Amino acid sequence: MSVYKHSYRAYGGKVTPLWTRVLVLARYGLAEVWSSKITISLFTLSVIPFVVFLFMIYIANNPLAQALISKSRADVFEIGPFFFMKVLESQCWIALVLTAWIAPRLISFDLADNSLPILLSHPISRFGYVFGKFIALFASLSTVTWIPGLLLFVYQGYTSPTPWAGRNFSIAVGIVVGTVIWTALLSLLGLALSSWVKWRVVATGLIFAAVFVPAGVGGLISAIMRTKWGLLLNLPVMMTELWQRLLGAPEMFDGNLSLPTFAIVAMLATACLLFVVMLNARIRAREVVRG
Amino acid sequence: MGVIDLDGLTVRLGGRTVLDGLTGELQGQAIGLLGPNGAGKSTLINTLLGFHEPSQGTARVFGLDAHRDRAEIRQRIGYMPENDSFIGNMSGVRFVRYMAELSGLPPAEALERAHESLFYVGLGEVRYRKVESYSLGMKQLIKLAQALAHGPRLLILDEPTNGLDPMARLRMIKVIKEIRQEGSIRLLISSHLLRDIDETCDEVLILKNGRIAALSNIEQERRSNRNFLELETAGATGEFSARIRDLGCECASFDGGRLKLVMPDNIAVRDLYVIAAEQGVQIRRMNLRRDSLEDIFLRAMVDSPSATATPNQNQEARPTHVSL
Repeated sequence: MSVYKHSYRAYGGKVTPLWTRVLVLARYGLAEVWSSKITISLFTLSVIPFVVFLFMIYIANNPLAQALISKSRADVFEIGPFFFMKVLESQCWIALVLTAWIAPRLISFDLADNSLPILLSHPISRFGYVFGKFIALFASLSTVTWIPGLLLFVYQGYTSPTPWAGRNFSIAVGIVVGTVIWTALLSLLGLALSSWVKWRVVATGLIFAAVFVPAGVGGLISAIMRTKWGLLLNLPVMMTELWQRLLGAPEMFDGNLSLPTFAIVAMLATACLLFVVMLNARIRAREVVRG
Repeated sequence: MGVIDLDGLTVRLGGRTVLDGLTGELQGQAIGLLGPNGAGKSTLINTLLGFHEPSQGTARVFGLDAHRDRAEIRQRIGYMPENDSFIGNMSGVRFVRYMAELSGLPPAEALERAHESLFYVGLGEVRYRKVESYSLGMKQLIKLAQALAHGPRLLILDEPTNGLDPMARLRMIKVIKEIRQEGSIRLLISSHLLRDIDETCDEVLILKNGRIAALSNIEQERRSNRNFLELETAGATGEFSARIRDLGCECASFDGGRLKLVMPDNIAVRDLYVIAAEQGVQIRRMNLRRDSLEDIFLRAMVDSPSATATPNQNQEARPTHVSL
């Protein structure tokens, strides 16, 4: 097979290991995601809060800058668990917006063009396909979640006049664990919902709806039945409580309303399981019609 | 060991038995897969690709179990699906490169092979256009290009000429013939069109109601019936046919002076005219014909076991190669 001879030539070269095929999917997924100007715009916007937080750390650790801004040192904010809680909150909601845009691009194109039979006829399993897309989405979301969070932690450790990083290492662990849980959850949610609709716009709406509609239903349940357990349907509240505990920040609810950690973890695990089941049902080379 | 070995292969999908105890060994360079709609052609292909798990029995490709070793099998297979299946917002060359990389080619080699295979199938000039902008014929060709790019040992083509205009069909058939002649790739071609199979294949597997209706070497069948003659005569036909039998021909007489005969190699058509002249018989029409794939197909459709027969009965009645 040659461009000029127009004849077929069998391939006798080297072949990559089977496990690397997942990375091919991830690489093409990332290329697809970042080829969009909207993705670039969203990512650029997501840098703004990061820059603001960076500036705040600079101010908090620079006496000269503090003197210029405020006469009293008491007015200046403290860099600690509460500060990083705010970092997590802002970055993680930006991640939700990015998920709603990116996830449908990864899956819906394949479904709309019915490319699954051709993709899965190659040496890649259904799990490999989903895992490759998951890596692409997780990596994209990481650029706005745990990576900037850790960068801020490192910068605070660097600029702090006292040895800060060692004493507050639990914050770094909290940032990584909290954002990784959220990023993984968002990745699965985005892929699962995108796999059920062929239209990207609908998939985007569905991702937002999946976060906020159950939260509203949970609020109604809590109000009508006078129970805190309705909050288990409220993903934003659950994640906020989890982040607070991981970072050691003050909790937003008192003891009566706060959810037990095991209940939050169990609920998140159930949600992930549901997303995996949805993906398993949809990501198939061939659909079997019953009857 | 054949290219594809089927051993009591049964596949049940959605509560229905789609493939029912298929047994056979496919050895041809180009194997045609024929059958009416719902016969199980696509299910057989999907099972060979590891998409469906056999409910009973086994299917082997190059000696590898189609379900257990599906990753290795897919490594050696190029698959061109029947329906549209591509990534529309990718350029042709990027799509083929992507598929080649998924098959294990390193990125640089995959890019090189993508260009080559696109030129090979005739899409060289449009390889930088997005696939969604291709015509139906081009989409068929790009599916073929991606199936070829990684240099498979077995190429599975599911309805390759589906929806093509006559010129595009001829081009597709030409490419398939070239691939067959090159010799390094075995072909499994599923089609509704007997003509496509007739032109490209040397072995045919005919399915009916999920069972093997016939498994036949087309070339052998043609060779064995190469002196098949149909005659229309007037006069003393009975005596004429008796004389022909004396020559060693197999002869069957029908109403209206029609005769059908299979002549041995040592008998020439001229001998028939000599006997006819001696008997005072007029030969008004003589039709020398080969046993076409259409005959094989129609006979298989009529002769095959009925759909209501039990699987065990069929399995006993079904030989590996059906004599036609």
